[in-house]
Amino acid sequence: MLIYILRRLLVMIPVTILISIIGFIIIQAPPGDFVSSYIAGLEAQGDIIEPELIDSLRARYGLGEPIYVQYFKWVSSFIEGDLGYSMIYREPVVDIIAQRLPSSFTISLLSLILVFVIGIPIGILSATKQYSLADYSFTVVGFLGVATPNFLLALVGLWLLFKWTGTVAIGLYSPEMQNAPFGLAKFIDLVGHIWLPALIVGTAGTAELIRTMRANLLDELPKQYVTVARARGVKPTKLLYKYPLRIAINPVISTVGWLLPVLVEGEVLVSLVLGLPTIAPVLLDSLMQQDMFLATSIIMILGILTLVGTLLSDILLAIVDPRIRGAV
Amino acid sequence: MTEIQRGGTAIDELGPSTEGMDGSLLSVRDLQTHFFSREGVVKAVDGVSFDIKPGEILGIAGESGCGKSVTSQSILRILPKNGKIVGGEILFQNEDQIIDLATEDADGRVLRNIRGKDIAMIFQEPMSAFSPVHTVGDQIIETIRIHQEVSKEEAHDQAIEMLRRVGMPNPARNIDEYTFNLSGGMRQRAMVALSLSCRPKLLIADEPTTAVDVTIQAQMLELLRDIQADLGMAIIMITHDLGVIAELTDRVMIMYLGKEVEHGTVEDVFHRPQHPYTRGLLASIPKMDPGRVEIEPIEGVVPNPYAMPSGCKFHTRCPDFIEGVCERHEPPLTAVARGHEVSCFLYGGREALE
Repeated sequence: MLIYILRRLLVMIPVTILISIIGFIIIQAPPGDFVSSYIAGLEAQGDIIEPELIDSLRARYGLGEPIYVQYFKWVSSFIEGDLGYSMIYREPVVDIIAQRLPSSFTISLLSLILVFVIGIPIGILSATKQYSLADYSFTVVGFLGVATPNFLLALVGLWLLFKWTGTVAIGLYSPEMQNAPFGLAKFIDLVGHIWLPALIVGTAGTAELIRTMRANLLDELPKQYVTVARARGVKPTKLLYKYPLRIAINPVISTVGWLLPVLVEGEVLVSLVLGLPTIAPVLLDSLMQQDMFLATSIIMILGILTLVGTLLSDILLAIVDPRIRGAV
Repeated sequence: MTEIQRGGTAIDELGPSTEGMDGSLLSVRDLQTHFFSREGVVKAVDGVSFDIKPGEILGIAGESGCGKSVTSQSILRILPKNGKIVGGEILFQNEDQIIDLATEDADGRVLRNIRGKDIAMIFQEPMSAFSPVHTVGDQIIETIRIHQEVSKEEAHDQAIEMLRRVGMPNPARNIDEYTFNLSGGMRQRAMVALSLSCRPKLLIADEPTTAVDVTIQAQMLELLRDIQADLGMAIIMITHDLGVIAELTDRVMIMYLGKEVEHGTVEDVFHRPQHPYTRGLLASIPKMDPGRVEIEPIEGVVPNPYAMPSGCKFHTRCPDFIEGVCERHEPPLTAVARGHEVSCFLYGGREALE
């Protein structure tokens, strides 16, 4: 097992390098660079730019040099923990991510908890009472949840909330709390705001989890080991959770690690609609404006988190399923 | 005083059927188990009766779909969701009580206490009889602790003892193994150990030799015989393999389409088969005689379960079909010798029709 983990960690090194190269190339691929789009923006506002300023900007960011030189410059500083400087926000990239990470993480974690707390029991209920009224109802709700884009739900949610309560549920804090120091009052304000985004972000995931749990459990319930356990006198409740549920939940465990990058990033469209200070809108901005350090850094971090998440999932699966453990 | 217990309340007024359990351990009377689906009703078991005494080995044989497995599932009340016992009694002599298993709550306390403790079952596929994510020992110990008030350590020791008794090579190690680590023969033994972990009075073996090759099959039969001699439990052996019946059992019941067609001692049924179906079954076994001997399969195919034949269920395939009788009336059981009964108009029952 230890050897397996070490081997997997070793394999992650070349993959990480590959991700960094591909990420860097893709960001560099569109014609022009940040300076040219920056100038275009200024010119559109009627400003006149002096050529000396342009050259000094280019030199400062090393934009004139060949791409591999730029890559190595970036990689070496990335490894040292210097993620570079964001040109649109005029702030170090580390600061931007640090500001947004807590709210990204809080919203995503909360919605994840909602997904599991709502999805798993409903999935179990749907499977054990297959073709009952409850099962049919949750199936309809589930399909709606999967099929409706989350940003649309966000819009509908905003509208409904405004219509019923008159509040505009934009952002994580009320305007007057925005700049207040974090304390009990601000926390209460946060609790009042965060549930809507958490619920909306979690809808599709919940619906999907209901379907997955239902299908997995329906596969396991008629298996012979369940009948055998029943024939041994095992209680009906234990018959459900000790045996089939243990196995039905494996696919959920094996994908839970993939959620790690999602936790950090947050969802783009919902964040935009609800004005949430998550990392996703920043990534979108940086890509659109070719803010290369910011974009590449975020992509790198998400890439590494994906790798780590996958490894975590595989380790978890090996812990819960002896069949996997025997094979590694 | 023998009492019949239904749903926890004792009923003093005994029906006529409770008379003469006659020292039987289990008495199945006119059992009817039907399956309900959108396509219709399948009468998987349609009026089957038999008794088994303590320590006796009874064989139930027939083609696939004849209702033999459903009979065993009915006894333990582990039928699939759409299966229901619609009639009959399954009387079980439990200490000084007679319990009608057919009317008890399927997952209630009474049945749960009997399952695994007094009546245990061996299944066809040992690989899938154990949960793949729990060790063999986990499940044996669980069974022991459901039915006996013993500590974990004591249950553990009992489990090892049982694994040793069924011939596992290294019980102390095998107890912590998963089924996918065991060979086919070992899995069979582990499964036997699982079902015997509480030393049941009755063991139902549902096609235990079907999914394994002949050498393991032979080991399995030997093991069952040894264990039976050792622990003295009664066995119901369910199989389509008449060789297994001949080798292991005392008495045999032949079933066809949910009905009993013939029963008697193995000696009677194999050497003096009466029912045309039994004769057909015996004639279709390949012989080991030198030279080529044609095997004679039974004509025709098993009818569609949703469209059962009228009268005697076998009349569509019967070489001795009596027109005007067999397709109109169900033959009653007729005794042809002491303890040897046949349900066929060739041996009587027509007088009652006139």
